[in-house]
Amino acid sequence: MSLNNFLRRVLVSLSVALLFSASIGLVQARSIESVSFLMAAPFADATRDLVTQFNKEHRGKIHLKVIRGPLETEAISDLAISSLLLGKAPFDGLLMDVTWLPKYAAAGWMEPLEGYFNQNDLESLAMGAREGNSYDGHLYRWPMTSDMGLLYYRTDLMDKPPETPDELILISQTLQKDKKIDWGYVWEGRQYEGISCVYLEMIDGFGGDWLTPNDNQIGLDLKPGVEAATWLQGTIDLGVSPKAVTNYAEPEALQSFKVGDAAFMRNWPYAWAELQKSDSAVKGNVGITTMVAKPGHSTSTLGSWGLTVLKGSKHVDASIEAIRFLTTDAAQKQLYLQYGYTPTEQSVFDDPLLLNESPILADFEKALKVVKPRPETPLYAQISDVLQRQLSSILTHEQTPQAGLDVATHNTRQILISAGDQP
Amino acid sequence: MIVFLLLPALLLLVVVFVGPLLRYAWLSFHADSVITGLIAIPNGGANWLRLLQDQRFWQDFGQTMRFSGVSVGLELVLALMIALLLDQRWRGRDIVRTLALIPWALPTTVMALGWRWIFNTPYGPVDHLSRIVGLGSLNILGDPSFTWMATVWADVWKTTPFAALILLAGLQTIPVDLYEAVRLEGGNAFICLRRITLPLLRPYILLALLFRLSQAVGVFDLIQVLTGGGPASSTESVALYAYLNALRFLDFGYSATIIMASFILISLLCVLAWIVLQILIPTQSKSQEVVES
Repeated sequence: MSLNNFLRRVLVSLSVALLFSASIGLVQARSIESVSFLMAAPFADATRDLVTQFNKEHRGKIHLKVIRGPLETEAISDLAISSLLLGKAPFDGLLMDVTWLPKYAAAGWMEPLEGYFNQNDLESLAMGAREGNSYDGHLYRWPMTSDMGLLYYRTDLMDKPPETPDELILISQTLQKDKKIDWGYVWEGRQYEGISCVYLEMIDGFGGDWLTPNDNQIGLDLKPGVEAATWLQGTIDLGVSPKAVTNYAEPEALQSFKVGDAAFMRNWPYAWAELQKSDSAVKGNVGITTMVAKPGHSTSTLGSWGLTVLKGSKHVDASIEAIRFLTTDAAQKQLYLQYGYTPTEQSVFDDPLLLNESPILADFEKALKVVKPRPETPLYAQISDVLQRQLSSILTHEQTPQAGLDVATHNTRQILISAGDQP
Repeated sequence: MIVFLLLPALLLLVVVFVGPLLRYAWLSFHADSVITGLIAIPNGGANWLRLLQDQRFWQDFGQTMRFSGVSVGLELVLALMIALLLDQRWRGRDIVRTLALIPWALPTTVMALGWRWIFNTPYGPVDHLSRIVGLGSLNILGDPSFTWMATVWADVWKTTPFAALILLAGLQTIPVDLYEAVRLEGGNAFICLRRITLPLLRPYILLALLFRLSQAVGVFDLIQVLTGGGPASSTESVALYAYLNALRFLDFGYSATIIMASFILISLLCVLAWIVLQILIPTQSKSQEVVES
C-alpha cells in the first residue's frame, strides 16, 4: 500500500514537472521566430558556423535553421519547385541560382525585397553582383556569393595568358607540338546548362548577343553567333580539346586540368580552391583570367547565388535579418577564405588585408567587372535547352554551325512568340 | 461481402493510380504553365496537336523504344541463362545467387555516376582498355553513335538480376518429374528446354517482360545522370522530356500531354508484347500433350 502511494506521488510530481516544462517551452516557442532556409548542400555546410553565430546572437528572438538540400543546382531547383507547387513552401527562404529568378517571379513565388534594402545597400555591392537580382522592376534576391566564368591557365607553361581565341589555339598547338602538354583547352561541352554558359562567353566575345535584353533580338544565327560555335567546334577538330569534351561537365574538365593534362580550362571560381589542395598536380602553377575574346569584348557568364524570401512566409522581417547577417562583410570574408566563395560586397574586394592574404581576389574582381547574365526571361530554361541541343549537335558534327544555329534561332523565336513576347 | 473486402485495395488503386491518370488526362487539354501564371486554362486539343507535330517527342519516343527493345531483349536472354545456371545444384551457388543481386540492389543514380567515370575519356578504365587493345580512344559518352549503347549496357548490367530472379522463381516451380519423363523418352537437354522449361516458364517470362518493359520505357534517372540526354540529344527519353517540361520549363499542360501519350503507347506496347509471346512460345497445354504422347 505504501509502495503504491509512493509510486502515485512520483507519477504526480513527474507529470506536474512535465506540464510545467512543456508550458515554458510553449511560451518560449511562441516568442521565438523560427526561420528556415533551403540551400544546396555545399552552401549549407559552408554557412554552418555563421548560422550558429546568428542563433547565438539572436537567442530568444530568432532561430535560423538551414535545410541541407541536394548537391546539384538542378536537383535543388526541382526540390524547391516541387515544394512551391504544393502551395505553402515548408521554408521561408531559398538560396537560388541567378537563372531561376525570372521564372520564380513570373510564378509569383517570391516576396519583393525593395522595401527592405535601400539605395545604399545596393550601391555597396560590387558592379557584377548587382546583376540578376531583380525582375520586372522588383528586387527579389540578395546576393550571397558571386560566380562567374573564368579561364584558368598554367603559369609554368606561358608568360602571359592568351587574350584572343586565335592566341589560345596557337599557344595550345605550340605546347602540344613540343610535347609539353596533352591537351590545350578543356571546357564544358556536355549537353546541359554549362554549354550555354561557355557559348555565351564566346558569342559575346565575338561581338554578338544571344538575346538582347529589351527588344528580344536573337543573335544566334548572326555572324558572331556562328563564329562562336565554329570556334568551339574547331577546338575539338584541331585536337586542341579532347573529343570527349562533348560529355564534359565541370568535374571532368577540372579532373583533366588538375592532373596537369591541359593548358587551359574554363570553370567557375570554386575550381581555384580545388586546385590549391594537396592532391593537385598544378598547385602553384595556375593563373586565372577572363575568357578569350576579340579585343574589348571579354565576357564572363554570371553565375551567383542569392537569398530570397518566399511568398507566404510568416517571418519576412526575421528572414531579412538572417539574410543581412549571412551577407555582411565579415561573413563574406569567412566564406571566401574558408570555402573559396567569391564575395559580392565591393568593400570586401577593396580590403587590403584580405588582398594581401589572397592576391587572387583581384583577378576575381576583374572577371566580375565583365559579367553578363544569361537572358533574363521566365522562359530561359526552354531557350537554353534549345541552344544546348543544337550546340551539342554542332560539336558532334551532326549539324553545321550555321544550320544548327538557324534551328536554334527558329525554335527560340517560337518559344518567345508562344509566350506573347514579340521577337 | 466480397466487395467490402476488396474495397481497401480498390480505394488505394484509385488514389495512387486512377486519380493521377485522370488528372493528367484533364490537364493535357489545358494550358498550364508559367505563362498562364500556373493557372489551368482550357485550350482544346492544342497540346495534342503540338505533340503530333513535335519532332522532338517522336525522336525521343523512337530512342526510348530502341533503348527499351534492345536492353529488355538482352536482359531476358541473359537472365534466362543466369537463372538456368543458378537453378542447378553446385557448390557455392547460394553465395553466387546473393552476389548476382548486387547490381539490382544499387541505387540507379549511384551506379550511373559510376558508369559515367568508367566510360570517361580519357581517365576511365574502358578507354584505357580500348587503347591497350589498339582500338584507340573511343569517346563512348561523347559520340552520338556510341552513347546510346552505353546507356543500354548500364541498364542491362543493373536490371538483368531482377529478371533472373523472376525466372529463377519460375524454374523452381517446374516439377523434376517432367524432365525425367523426357529423358525416359530419349529426349535431350535441348528438347527439355524447348518443350518443358520455356512453356512452363512462359507466365514468368511474361511477368519479367512486362515489369522490365514498363520500367525501361519510363527510363529517367539512368539517362539523366549518365548523359543528361546528350550528346546531340541522342539519348533523351520520353520521361526526360516530360520532366524537363514540368520541372524546368514549368509547362505542366504539355508535360501532362507527353505523359498521357506515353501511357497510351506503353499500354499498346504491352498488348503487342503479349501477342508476340503467345506466338513465340507454345502454351502449356501443348507441351503437356508432347510429354504425355
